[in-house]
Amino acid sequence: MSKKYVLIVDDDPDLVETVSMMLESKGYEVGKAYDGIEGEEAIKKRRPDVLILDVMMPRKNGYQLCKELKSNKWTQEIPIVLLTAVGEAVPTTSYSHAEGMAIEAEDFIPKPVDAKTLVEAVERLL
Amino acid sequence: MDDQRIRIGGLKVLEGGACVVSSSPRGEDRLADRVCAPLAQSKINLTFLTHVAGDREVLCTAGEAGEAALTLLKTHTEPGGHANLHPGASILSLYPHDKRPEIIGNFIRSLARARVIIHGLASSPAAISAVFSSRRKKAVVQQLFQDFRFSSFDSPQDFFEAQPPPEEYVQKVVATYQEKTIKVYWIVPQPDLDLWGMSISSAEILEGLANALMDLADLGLKVPFLVALPGLEGKEFIVSFSTARPQAAGDQGEEVRRLLKRRLPEARPMRLTPVAGIFLHGPHFGDRYGITHTLLEALERARVTILALSCTISSISLIIRQQELAAAQLVLGKTFAAPVA
Repeated sequence: MSKKYVLIVDDDPDLVETVSMMLESKGYEVGKAYDGIEGEEAIKKRRPDVLILDVMMPRKNGYQLCKELKSNKWTQEIPIVLLTAVGEAVPTTSYSHAEGMAIEAEDFIPKPVDAKTLVEAVERLL
Repeated sequence: MDDQRIRIGGLKVLEGGACVVSSSPRGEDRLADRVCAPLAQSKINLTFLTHVAGDREVLCTAGEAGEAALTLLKTHTEPGGHANLHPGASILSLYPHDKRPEIIGNFIRSLARARVIIHGLASSPAAISAVFSSRRKKAVVQQLFQDFRFSSFDSPQDFFEAQPPPEEYVQKVVATYQEKTIKVYWIVPQPDLDLWGMSISSAEILEGLANALMDLADLGLKVPFLVALPGLEGKEFIVSFSTARPQAAGDQGEEVRRLLKRRLPEARPMRLTPVAGIFLHGPHFGDRYGITHTLLEALERARVTILALSCTISSISLIIRQQELAAAQLVLGKTFAAPVA
């Protein structure tokens, strides 16, 4: 049986490295991308079984990418976990939980991320 | 013609910082009370820190905090010590290095070819970072595009056009985490490393170091840790890095020494073995003052001596004596909220 493929898109390379190590140790195949546009390209090349998506990223933020994926019939079924550092802790940010809730991601995990919780969220969605 | 450049994930530059290079002549390893405690008490965030045993370090802060950091360090430095401020500093990071010495070596060679004066080098679990004057940023990025191929950007122009406006950096920093116990994604120990340390005569011969690192790849070695910083009075450059050998390989210490001597004939590489690395993935030390101080205090309580330390991107990496690994893991597990690998 082929391994489940998880794509992580985050501009924090250390978080990408950590989550990759954790998921690989559990037998998943992991793809990495470091901004929204690179993430979009990676999805075109290979459809992930689960997508982990940071919200605050350069070039194309996670909300924008999530919205696009959910409105496209070829990608709308991809389960998405959004990583959010927004809301009450960040009163000045232009991002909001309300915006996140409106775009139908399957799960939200607040930053700072508990990597173990994130891996559990991925496992729930597969 | 074939594109010989190394394909790599990404590149980021944090601008508008201040860099302080300091050293203390007594070598008492007082990083906690000489540097980190005063900065934490003054609520100054660090965006970058390297340290090698012997009380030498390079740190970066936000630009407006540079003068205050310099004053604090001077106040706490012994007579004969040095502390110099470099305003207008940039931190440039390339990732992921995958612990591959040829990637780290190529990065250093790019810096050498761009003729940049490096104030500090540090690795994180995923990235390799350099600190230098923001005035040289363009030259460095252009050289990196000569040596690397980036997934997201075809040219330096693409890269510069995609940079977020400065206020978005502020938004990131405003996301200061206020949890009572500092969260870390993962604490990963790595025993059975060699630690290599040497002084090279000046940053101008960095290309020799770069070539030496690239040679290490031929031995199948990984480099999970590297720091470099100017020595006393800036007349030398101190380099410290660790190597991890493949499981099947025997001791490769003499081969490494021979390679280093071939590329850097004047250097006297010193090896400490076995040592252990501890990698704290993602405590986001730059988003909240005092995190590095919390770490140092904890290790001091456990009587663990730090041989070399780097804080860059969002992680803290340290090298300690192998026999102190269990004590370090125990105290860090109690100090930080983190799963331990």
